[in-house]
Amino acid sequence: MLEVSHVSKSFFGFAALSGVSLRVAPGSFHALVGPNGAGKTTLFNVIVGRYRPDAGEVVLAGRRITGLPTARVVRLGLGISFQRAQAFLSMSVLENVVLAVLAQQGRTHDGVRELAGYEDARAAARELLGWVGLAAAADAPTASLPLGDLKRVDIAMALAGRPQMLLLDEPLAGLSRAERREMVRFIEELLRGLGLTLLFTEHDTEAVLRLADRVTVLHQGQVLSEGTPDAIKRDARVVEAFLGE
Amino acid sequence: MKARGWLLLLLAALLALPWLLPGYALEVAIQALILALFATAFNFVFAETGLLSFGHAAFFGGGAYTTALLMQRAGWPYLLTLPAAVLAAALLALAIGFFSVRTSRIYFTMLTLAFAQLVWAVVHKWYDFTGGDNGITGLHPGALWGDARALYYLALVLFALGLTFVWRLHHAPFGYALRAIRDNPARAEAVGLSPFGYLLAAFTLSGALAGAAGFLQVAWQRSAFPDFLYWTKSAEAIIAAILGGAQALFGPALGSVVFVELGAFVQSRTEYWPLVLGLVLLALVLFLPQGLAGLGGGRARG
Ligand SMILES: Nc1ncnc2c1ncn2[C@@H]1O[C@H](COP(=O)(O)OP(=O)(O)OP(=O)(O)O)[C@@H](O)[C@H]1O
Ligand SMILES: [Mg+2]
Repeated sequence: MLEVSHVSKSFFGFAALSGVSLRVAPGSFHALVGPNGAGKTTLFNVIVGRYRPDAGEVVLAGRRITGLPTARVVRLGLGISFQRAQAFLSMSVLENVVLAVLAQQGRTHDGVRELAGYEDARAAARELLGWVGLAAAADAPTASLPLGDLKRVDIAMALAGRPQMLLLDEPLAGLSRAERREMVRFIEELLRGLGLTLLFTEHDTEAVLRLADRVTVLHQGQVLSEGTPDAIKRDARVVEAFLGE
Repeated sequence: MKARGWLLLLLAALLALPWLLPGYALEVAIQALILALFATAFNFVFAETGLLSFGHAAFFGGGAYTTALLMQRAGWPYLLTLPAAVLAAALLALAIGFFSVRTSRIYFTMLTLAFAQLVWAVVHKWYDFTGGDNGITGLHPGALWGDARALYYLALVLFALGLTFVWRLHHAPFGYALRAIRDNPARAEAVGLSPFGYLLAAFTLSGALAGAAGFLQVAWQRSAFPDFLYWTKSAEAIIAAILGGAQALFGPALGSVVFVELGAFVQSRTEYWPLVLGLVLLALVLFLPQGLAGLGGGRARG
């Protein structure tokens, strides 16, 4: 589904990524782990076209997407959710998702018809909000939501284009214990149910072991190890990299 | 329903005004309408995208000079120059926007200011074509548009069209896309919106509207002057929008009326208008950060 080969990226001489390769099989949940500053978010930014890599290739579903602008990558079937939950705070929850649906369909050039009159997009947005368990909050102002709900809005927007694959950067960051447990269950049920391919980063080891089919360990911009969660758990180098921090 | 009642009353008052006001006051009212259109145009970009343009004088003046030159050199009737003025202003905005909307906030402001001053400098010095600092004077908009009442109604119609235009865009997906880009550009890209095209389109439409205001100014003054393109003209739109309330649909228009009427009143009595204006703005920023529209209770973007 996604293939990253030999990607390198430096910032002012500092190598944030050096020769990173990664394969995410269709339908699998793939975790990208590593200590702070390992380069996880940088790799995500390369994949989604926010950073142009100094070297290497990114291929999504057989299509080379290296260096394509983010808006294009997204329309090719990659849903994106960020490390810090993000939404359009001047709008209601429903408006956020309706806009995301219309944007994915290339219907946001319209300057005449009211957004509130797009019944089909509103129905699609309501369905997405139902998936993430926010149907009741549809009319709430986004600015008033707690962080956990904001993350759900973010994921609903990431799903608006009905992507084949989803990128989640630290979906549990900032959540309380109870919220974390709920989010893990939610990701499991919803995304497995949809048959989506998932690439995610997470510091919560327990969640990684529970969700992931494969794990790639990144350390100082390089792939340290890759394998099943069980194999990774027993890998001495990985243990050392984390404890050595 | 209640809001609609007030709106109808306001409309009736605006329609009756030319028959109630003495000549000089009507002239001032026309000036207020022209500034209202100009400030509404400026504020469209400011409110929806968060980008503060300090270069809208270029589009106001661009529209004005297009009208003045077509009348003077090609003998076009006044009204026919309107589409040309709007188109010229739009093209100018497209060109300036192409280089400016990519940059963020303060650079955008400085860049639009620099481009507009460049346009001003060209018009100011190009005596053979634009008349340089003498401007283009002695224009005759014809018997009809030379009449203050007719000009008032023309300005009222264009202002109403401009306001409707901005209102529709605000509620349409295009307006939401602009505010999404303003709220969170990274998230906007991640739902598939490329900011550049949207920002450039918004800036161009705003420039086109400003050009229509410039077109009106020519009939009001029967002339076009380089002052129309000077940075102080851009500042008038900014002040009017902030005075009235940039977040309200009617805010810039309200600010324009206060700015022009208060200016005319103070100037007829003292020579301290800039001082008074400074104090008014200071009081506003301190006590009414939402602008005068904030008095009416919050964010009236109806
Ligand atoms: N735009 C940038 N400019 C300069 N340096 C950057 C930039 N983005 C990332 N870096 C650097 O690259 C390194 C990797 O950062 P990155 O954000 O990818 O780490 P991460 O693995 O996501 O960490 P965390 O777990 O804390 O989110 C860090 O040292 C960071 O300072
Ligand atoms: Mg990170």
